[in-house]
Amino acid sequence: MSSATPAATITAELAAIVGESNALDQEAALKAAAIDGVLPAAVVSPGSAEEVAAVLRLANSRQWSVVSAGAFGDQSTGFPPERVDVVLNTRRLTGIEHYDPGDLTMGVAAGTRLSEIFQRLGEHRQMLPIDCAQAAGRTVGGVMAAASSGPLKHGFGGLREFCIGVKFVTGDGKLARGGGRVVKNVAGYDLMKLMIGSWGTLGVMVEANFKVFPKPRQTRTFILDFLLSGGAVQFRDRLMKSALPFLCADILSPRASEYVPGMQSQNWRLLLRAAGSDTVLARYRTELGHYIVGDFEGTDEERLWGAVSDFQETVLARHHNAMVMQVSVPPESLGAVIGSAERAGIENNFLPAVLGRCNIGSLLVALVPLAVDPPAAIQYVNAASAFRAGLTKDSSAIVMRCPREAKGHFNVWGDTPTDLGLMRTVKQALDPGGILDRGRFLL
Amino acid sequence: MRLSDVAKQLRKIVGRDAVLDRAEDLMLYEYDAGVARSTPGLVVFPQTTEHVSRIVKLAAEAQVSIVPRGAGTGLSGGSISRDRGMVLVFSRMNKILELDLPSLRAVVQPGVVNLDLSAAVNREGYYFAPDPASQRSCTIGGNVAENSGGPHTLAYGVTVNHVTGLEIVLSDGRIANVGGKALDPAGYDLTGFLVGSEGTLGIVTAITVKLTRVSEAVSTMLGIFDTVDDAANTVVALTAAGITPTALEMLDGWTLRTVEEATHAGYPLDSGAVLLIEVEGLRESIPEQEEAVRQVCKKQKAREVRVAKNEKERALLWAGRKNAFAAIGRISPSYYTQDGVVPRTMIPATLRHIDQLGKKYGIQVGNIFHAGDGNLHPIILYDLRDQEQTDRVHQLCHEILEWCVKVGGSITGEHGVGLEKQNMMGLMFTQEELEVMERLRVALNPSSVLNPQKILPTTLGCGEVRIARSKPAEAHA
Repeated sequence: MSSATPAATITAELAAIVGESNALDQEAALKAAAIDGVLPAAVVSPGSAEEVAAVLRLANSRQWSVVSAGAFGDQSTGFPPERVDVVLNTRRLTGIEHYDPGDLTMGVAAGTRLSEIFQRLGEHRQMLPIDCAQAAGRTVGGVMAAASSGPLKHGFGGLREFCIGVKFVTGDGKLARGGGRVVKNVAGYDLMKLMIGSWGTLGVMVEANFKVFPKPRQTRTFILDFLLSGGAVQFRDRLMKSALPFLCADILSPRASEYVPGMQSQNWRLLLRAAGSDTVLARYRTELGHYIVGDFEGTDEERLWGAVSDFQETVLARHHNAMVMQVSVPPESLGAVIGSAERAGIENNFLPAVLGRCNIGSLLVALVPLAVDPPAAIQYVNAASAFRAGLTKDSSAIVMRCPREAKGHFNVWGDTPTDLGLMRTVKQALDPGGILDRGRFLL
Repeated sequence: MRLSDVAKQLRKIVGRDAVLDRAEDLMLYEYDAGVARSTPGLVVFPQTTEHVSRIVKLAAEAQVSIVPRGAGTGLSGGSISRDRGMVLVFSRMNKILELDLPSLRAVVQPGVVNLDLSAAVNREGYYFAPDPASQRSCTIGGNVAENSGGPHTLAYGVTVNHVTGLEIVLSDGRIANVGGKALDPAGYDLTGFLVGSEGTLGIVTAITVKLTRVSEAVSTMLGIFDTVDDAANTVVALTAAGITPTALEMLDGWTLRTVEEATHAGYPLDSGAVLLIEVEGLRESIPEQEEAVRQVCKKQKAREVRVAKNEKERALLWAGRKNAFAAIGRISPSYYTQDGVVPRTMIPATLRHIDQLGKKYGIQVGNIFHAGDGNLHPIILYDLRDQEQTDRVHQLCHEILEWCVKVGGSITGEHGVGLEKQNMMGLMFTQEELEVMERLRVALNPSSVLNPQKILPTTLGCGEVRIARSKPAEAHA
């Protein structure tokens, strides 16, 4: 990779800020920090918000392109970068800064792994409802940047619903902050919303505060089977009109069930997780009626939902050349997603697998290549366009993963109802030099 | 351009009867439900998004500021024009544009009254969850501007948690869309960012909101306590025990007596404080939730826990809470409703501190608030005509908010910053942090035509504003 500034110069200048041991350019360090196959010129690990600011001020003045990273969990999403000068690793920005179990609030540094947070909360029977793929190993900054979520999004909403404060550094090195530590707060602009799902393009997060939740005392998951997708969708419609609240409500296509250990089935399935006492759970059983083919509780239940969360990883572990899309639709359009995935698959020689939060319109669609020849790049392009064309207004389908060779040929981010000009205005305000995540986002 | 010329142009856009410029008409728009006053130069009533767009272009050209306004029920001066600008009132953009029950969405114009939307879908078993005390008159556009809350925010979230898309007129008159009916579409969450920006970044002209299923069963309880401390400790204990009421409101002794005299809600006159506690869910879950609440209350020395036996009793308990401000209006010439937030574990200490401050300043302070999320509303009684007393009240407020911030809280939980608290933003944010917010404001509203002099301190960022003003054309390139 060619770089405007020689690697040694970059490393030396960064070392002046963070110390030599935290600014590396040895091959092993660079390989470990590769961004979608592209090696950076240097890897820097600042130890404080002030050091992050100093690094970004320097990078901004030199026009170095910077990618921030934590656990590297979603770094293959987006366009591959043309060049990465600096990977800013948040591994030294760790720790639980405050935890007030009586107030149900917690503040953590951006590089903190979720496992550490889960463990600490578990001591007080509390939880942070982020159950994305491989959640325990992810960092707070990473899940914020990717707006990661999992099945619990049905019951608790996404990060935007429970992140109550954020500290970050702008592209030109200003320390910024939105929100605070309390659960209700309207002082100043809601910068949390800008940071969540901005994929590192608006700033480098250094800290985030959350509202946390008491763990439900008892939960049970009911498995419901339907011969056809239409039956599952119809039952889902009934659930949306009913008064039954759920923690999780997922749909699983027969193909998707192959990637959720313990769930293999020829049928379409609804996985419904409810909380309450025995009396309350008995009511669920009555209402869900004869569609129930099984139920799970305790560790089996945890394992099942863990497997649902890891769907994307399981697909990719078995088929490295699969394409996985994260789909957002108005809830009514569930049927359109299923129909469109089937058509796009058949027309382009992929097998479609559909899984996700059926009542809120947050789904994952995996297109797995048929076991003949590996698909050409153009097949991914065509499959994505065919799938997107079948969606309703306001929908979007982000290609989370697909072979790198295909990415150059289409827009992995896809359409969005949100005004691009306005997004650019915001980007320009927070990263005036355009150094963050250059060339990887949809702008 | 002179204001009279602007008025003439405006009449060409919106019609003769949709522009006010006579002093006696303008007076009606010089205040909101808070304490600030300032007469606007013009008032205009757009009927379409296209009108709003043309008005913004005209205002930018004429260099007259625009202040959007719903029902004027705000408490922080957000809808008051400080510089004899134009108040843009949404009372004629009050249509529900679409009800999409299968997707649990509605699309509304900003002038739709909060409770009217709930009424429109109530028969089918749905409602719009944000429930500010003023919900019978406040508009959804106003809720969006202020990111309003209400008693049931505790369980259901504030306005931003119920908005998935916006149509917005930008400072150059361009009409843009952000978000839609789907959750989290690709790209930045500008919907979430714009909600609560108090009209300083754009003018919202259509709103896509979530509709919520009405719970099957609800139970309203009244916990009666001898002291404020016991009630406050109960709030902490309920939260720590993992009990999640849908509403948890507190009235201290002085406030409940004042309310009781006016409303006869059944609050015992000799108690030190009451908690209004509501739980919801499936029928089968109610008895166990009630029992859990009762146990915690008893452990925290509740004198009694009453359960509303029917809808009439329930409505009466809530009537006391909802009519509290009217009740206080009966006994004091003026009152100031403060809005601060503290961590819930700090509620007991905070109430003691406010009590001491009231004594120190010789001012009567009542407390009625959203205890469940630590959102305090000290009610401060005074006489606006007494300048010396008014000054003392402002000092008292400042000290209360300083305390809130000191213990990890906020200067506003739901009323907004507006012009009331902009110079207190420095209590919460550093100069650098405020400059980043200012940068965003300048980027979206470069000529400051939209709701100027709100939210951010008046002393801030003049340099950046000047720079941006010199090249406004690039702002939305």
